Amino acid sequence: MNRLLRQIAVIARRDFLAIVATPTFLLFLLAPAFMLSFGVVGGSGAAQMGASSAEKARIVAIVDGSDAKRLTAADTNRRSLYRAGEGPPVLMIAQPSDNLNNQVKMLFNSKTLDVTAVLSGALSNPRVTFKSPSKRHADYLATLADDVVREGRTGLSLEKRIITATITENTAARTSVRGQQASGFGAVFGIFFLTLLLAGQAVGTLAEEKSNKVIEILAASVPLEAVFLGKLIGMFGVSVVFVAFWGGLAALGINLLPPGVVLAGFAPAIGAPMFFVLCGLYLAMAFMLLGAVFLGIGAQASTMREIQMLSLPITIFQVSMFGISAAAAGAPGSTIATFAEIFPFSSPFAMAARGATDPAIWPHVLALGWQALWVGITIWISVRLFRIGVLKSGGGWRGLFRRKHMTA
Amino acid sequence: MSSDYAVTANALVKNFGSKRAVDGVDLSVPTGMIYGVLGPNGAGKTTTLRMLLGIIDPDSGTRILLGQSRPREASDRVGYLPEERGLYPAMKAREAIAFMGALRGLSWAEGRTRAATLMEAAGLGAVVDTKIRKMSKGMAQLVQLLGSIVHRPELIVLDEPFSGLDPVNQEHLEALILAERDRGATILFSTHVMGHAERLCDRLAIIAGSKRRFEGTVDEARGTLPMRAHYVPCSGDDAVAAMLPADAMRNGKGWRFTVPEGGPEPLLLNLINAGHGIAGLTMERPGLHDAFVRIVNNAKSGDDA
Repeated sequence: MNRLLRQIAVIARRDFLAIVATPTFLLFLLAPAFMLSFGVVGGSGAAQMGASSAEKARIVAIVDGSDAKRLTAADTNRRSLYRAGEGPPVLMIAQPSDNLNNQVKMLFNSKTLDVTAVLSGALSNPRVTFKSPSKRHADYLATLADDVVREGRTGLSLEKRIITATITENTAARTSVRGQQASGFGAVFGIFFLTLLLAGQAVGTLAEEKSNKVIEILAASVPLEAVFLGKLIGMFGVSVVFVAFWGGLAALGINLLPPGVVLAGFAPAIGAPMFFVLCGLYLAMAFMLLGAVFLGIGAQASTMREIQMLSLPITIFQVSMFGISAAAAGAPGSTIATFAEIFPFSSPFAMAARGATDPAIWPHVLALGWQALWVGITIWISVRLFRIGVLKSGGGWRGLFRRKHMTA
Repeated sequence: MSSDYAVTANALVKNFGSKRAVDGVDLSVPTGMIYGVLGPNGAGKTTTLRMLLGIIDPDSGTRILLGQSRPREASDRVGYLPEERGLYPAMKAREAIAFMGALRGLSWAEGRTRAATLMEAAGLGAVVDTKIRKMSKGMAQLVQLLGSIVHRPELIVLDEPFSGLDPVNQEHLEALILAERDRGATILFSTHVMGHAERLCDRLAIIAGSKRRFEGTVDEARGTLPMRAHYVPCSGDDAVAAMLPADAMRNGKGWRFTVPEGGPEPLLLNLINAGHGIAGLTMERPGLHDAFVRIVNNAKSGDDA
């Protein structure tokens, strides 16, 4: 056993260093920064466009003197319920002209403002016209008119409350089911994203050995199981560096934010520390499981073109595992959730989601063992396929499950 | 038996699809010897070596490598240079050798130290820290060879080790093989270049048409062919041809022919008595090359028949 572990370590070390100790790795490590910077540039452009369009948006009330004042007061009162940037467009008051219909038409055709809804006529019987899809803005104007008329008829001021409510925050409350499921989905997505980014690379790792014929040396020196597992561990080491780097930066960023901003509503049923530990373990399992599949498939390819061709089915496979697990995260305890938790290749994702909604530990111990078993089975099958398909050993495809004993 | 023989193989058979690559090959490689596996291209030499090393399994037959019926169990005591050379191009030479040692159980640190010493001895001291991709093919090949012996294996298996090497490096390699044998290692190598086999091998096997056709020493191989004579008569008379063996061929002023089974003396006596005299006589012992060609041709004609 020690010999096998040593052989695995030799392969893993070589692969890890061959990737990490190259300038290319820096590009790989910083790839998300490029992605983020492009996202920020694109996002800020879109936000600027959005802000500029929001600045020009108006809802218009064509009312005279006293109605205008009361309508503005009602608007101020109602708008206080909205968070900045979330309320309806700015209310603009316009004096009625002789031709009201023409005035409304002119407002909608304005080249300097983006008028979305116009209220005209008497407040007790207003006419509100809107431009699709701004029906809510029309409703808002109608509500303002209603507020003003209601105030006038009841004599109850809009600014003054007629009751005094005691508003307190219940900090001890159990997290909401929605919050737990969102945490579960977050875990599924996080693990999926990282495996998509990292495990897919395992597909081409044996190509190097095959193209430069080192595989012959490896096959003569160590069991192929050690080669496959060593390669997976080496690649996983690279992923750990990647995750540690970006995880560290993310933690630093979260620390700089006001408390509760990022993790508001995040309270997995199993507890946050254990949830993070489980997510780490399931990430490792997802990587090893999917990586073993990809390595096994990629090992059969003999050219880079074939490896590229394999990327699509591999990505589809990954996405389908994500789809099943995401559905499981949204419906804990359902048949699909049970299936996703048991099916080996979706199990790491689905079980991470389960940690968010179920406080029990034992299913995770069971699942990790089950997944580790499948890592072994997948590598075993991959090795046999490699021996049969590439090394032309083992008595053809029928020999896949036949164990040959050679004795003197 | 296992201590006397580093490798034994019994009736190894390997098929690739419908083609039989190795057909019942037996081998016994005595410990501490240089053993050559000779054969023409496609004879099954490489497949045999790969089966012996456990890279591929035979369809039938048995093999014992350094006392182990599962060759993998002995892999730390074996060094192997495959026919198709393989090194990681981005690795430095010293690291590549240390890596191959580490695969066979040597520590990285020890591997690096030994790598430097071996490279120095092989005249590669200046390129210890050069990346493989920057080395010539011959240099890289030597590096790989050093990688296969860095852990001081008991058995060294070299598949066509001389191919691609220039004459100087071929001499280096021959010296290295002899040095390893002197250290106590058993060397099993395949080749189709007879010169190397003739100079190096203590014993050899000739494989042709997927079967082993000969096993023995170089002298025994050469002994499978009769001696040849180059005779130059005193007279230039063509009538001498009638007295010579049937395969006699003119060669300049003389004749070349196979020495009759009873030896050359009766024939020479007859030639002298007939007045042809002896102006020159050279006895030629057949080389391994001739023996190899005859064995391979016999195998071919036997298989065709």
